[in-house]
This record gives sequence, C-alpha cells and structure tokens, in this order.
Amino acid sequence: MAASFDSDKAAALHRHLHSHLPPEPALRVKALESLLVERGLVSTQTLDSWVEAYTEEIGPKRGAQVVARSWLDQDFRARLLENATEAIKEFGFEGNATGNLKAVENTDTTHNLVVCTLCSCYPFSLLGMSPAWYKAGAYRARAVREPRKVLKEFGVELSEDVAVRVWDSTAELRYLIVPQRPAGTEGWSEVQLAEIVTRNAMIGTDRDLKTGAA
Amino acid sequence: MDTIHDLGGKQGFGPVDVNEPEVPFHHDWEARAWALARAGGRPGLTIDWWRHMVERMDPATYMTVPYFEKWCLTDLVGYIDTGYFTVGEAIEGHLLTTPKGTPPKGIGLPELMENMRLSVKDFEVPTDEPAKFSVGDQVRTISYAVPTHTRLPAYARGRIGEVISHHGAHPLPDKSAQGLEVAEHLYTVVFKATELWGEEADPRDTVTLDLWESYFE
Repeated sequence: MAASFDSDKAAALHRHLHSHLPPEPALRVKALESLLVERGLVSTQTLDSWVEAYTEEIGPKRGAQVVARSWLDQDFRARLLENATEAIKEFGFEGNATGNLKAVENTDTTHNLVVCTLCSCYPFSLLGMSPAWYKAGAYRARAVREPRKVLKEFGVELSEDVAVRVWDSTAELRYLIVPQRPAGTEGWSEVQLAEIVTRNAMIGTDRDLKTGAA
Repeated sequence: MDTIHDLGGKQGFGPVDVNEPEVPFHHDWEARAWALARAGGRPGLTIDWWRHMVERMDPATYMTVPYFEKWCLTDLVGYIDTGYFTVGEAIEGHLLTTPKGTPPKGIGLPELMENMRLSVKDFEVPTDEPAKFSVGDQVRTISYAVPTHTRLPAYARGRIGEVISHHGAHPLPDKSAQGLEVAEHLYTVVFKATELWGEEADPRDTVTLDLWESYFE
C-alpha cells in the first residue's frame, strides 16, 4: 500500500474527519488505537512500552548528564561539539531524532535558543518529550522575532554584551544547548552537576543555572 | 505552500506559558497518541508527506486543537489515504468491512529501549553532485513560495545570509513530501536579525536555518 501524496485529498480528509469524529481528543485517539490494533499494525503491549519509555526512562536527565560530563571532561566536550550524534552514543542515548545532532555552547557573549517554527522538531531520545510551550503557537511565532522578550518571560536577563542566536531547527538537524557551568560548583561530581542542569537550559530558555538545588 | 503551520514571526500571540508543570505528558491520551505514532510506524509514508498532511489541516483547526490531537488526526488521514481502513471505520472507531489482522508480537520495555537505540538514523545520503556553496559564502534565499511542502520559512524568503556549515546531501523535503527521492546539499545559514526583521530587531542578534541548495537563488 502506498500513500497518494495528493495534498488536496489530505486536506479534504482532514475536514471530513474533524467534523465527523467525536470532539473529545481522548476518543479520537481511542479510535486510532482500536483501528491499528484490529488491523494488526500494533500490539497493546508495545504501545504500553512506548509510554513507559518516555514516562519513566527517557527525559531531560539524559541531556543533563551529557552537559555535566562536558563540564568535567574537556576531551568529551570537544567530541560533543564536533559531533554530538556520536558523542551521546557513549551514554547509549541515541534514538529518536538524534541522528543529526548538534551541540552549541553558550559563552559569556552568546546566548543560544532553539525553536522549530514550522512544527516542533526536538531531540526526543536525549531530552524526552518537549514542553507544551515549545509546541505552542506563541513560542514558535515569537522566538525568532523577539527572542529577548521571550527570554524575559522565562526570567532570563541578558547583560549588555550578550548576543542572542536563535536556531530554527526546521531540517534534520536537532540542537542541544550546552549551558555554562556556574561558579561555585568546583569539585562537584558529574552526578551533582547533572542535578542543576535544567531542561530549559538545554533548549535555551534558561541561562544562569542555580547551584542551590544540588 | 503558504499554509498555516509557518508561524515564525507572526504577531499577535500572547505570552509563553512558562509555568507549565514539567511532566512528559499532561493527559493519558497524549501519551497514547505519541505511542501510536511511534509504534504504528506510519507505513508507506515519508516524514515529509506526514508533515505536509499536518500542514493541510484546516487553518482554524490547526490553531485550536491540542498538539497530539493534530498527530492523531494526521495519522488517521495517513492510514485512510494509504488504504489501511476507511473514513467510515475511522468515524465508527472500529473496522467494519476491512479484514482484521493479527497484531505483531508485543515488545517489552528493555527490548524497545534497545530497538530505539539501534533505530538512530543519519539522514545524509551519498551524492556525486558537488556542493555549490562553501562555509563563508553569502547566499540569498528564493523570494516566493513553492507549490509544495517546503522547509524554507516565509520569514526567511528573499534574505541574504552566510553559510556557517555544510552537512553533505540530504533528501529534499519538497520532493520527499511527494514520494520522490532527490538529495540536495544541506547548509546551516546564519541571518542577521536586522536582515529578517528590519529596524525592530536587535543588531546583536542572529537566526540560523538549515536550508537545502534549491532554497537559494
């Protein structure tokens, strides 16, 4: 079986389905699940495993561990910045949407921010599920045009000499922002350091990491 | 196509909801929609055709239904279009005339985690075509929309930027969304914010985009 690749047909199907399906999203998803199970395309056990994987196993703690190691091990940091796709294999964190991964470091004079204005591309196997705001219209529309205002809403204050670079990840490349290691963490272990790396810092909507939590 | 999904730079939106609780899913059905998208495998589709189907949602629907409902609706459209079940069956929520199949063997968490790790995919494809641009080159993007799916956002049309990296050849989404395999060189291009937004932009700021060769003049 092959797709029609007929754009107008897809639009017509969307209009028909949206006006005839029950309005509740939970019922729409239930219909999809019933159909795929009855059709023999998926097993319920595999679906449960996918939910468990992204609820229990995979999340921003993975990215935080990668960032923490990059602070402690300069050779690893060089490998990460050179080829993040390969570097995260040292942790076994490769998988969904990390086949063309780029790590970008914040510096004293540059702050990096990631958005996908066309959909919601995100390095799932490294950072887990993306936040709802990352997928919402307000962030997608505004992050490229007024990044400083958006950052302010997240509580990020930039000093006068900091430039903002926004990475609009609309192709196969996915981005990991490597935040700066905060002062006062000298002598900390990788585990301690990973504790203070926030999900938002790895997207770029957080900058100055707090050391109080660890 | 100039469809509703191309939101970069659109004005009139309110503040970002920064206080959202940090949980992977906010409803059980979201987790289910995610799992269905992953486990179903979207047979017979390309990622670009799937994205284009999302983009062909009615604009008002696109802007109002929750994110994972968009996935669910688009998966339904995809399976119907590909012939796995009918519109009537989707609305009923069960197969009516399409023969039932036997579900594949279920996979537990450890096996799934290992499969996922092995599934990592580099999208670069070999090509004999030499790259037209090099790092440091100035490029100008095309000025008009194309009639298909594309990954050049409207806000970056007809703009001058500088190539900062070259990634080899990758499948061109515009063609892949039509079921055609055409590879083109892919570059990361940096644009000054003032080039994109004029005087309202901060002259210190930049925006990067990953763009295929045919997106340049």
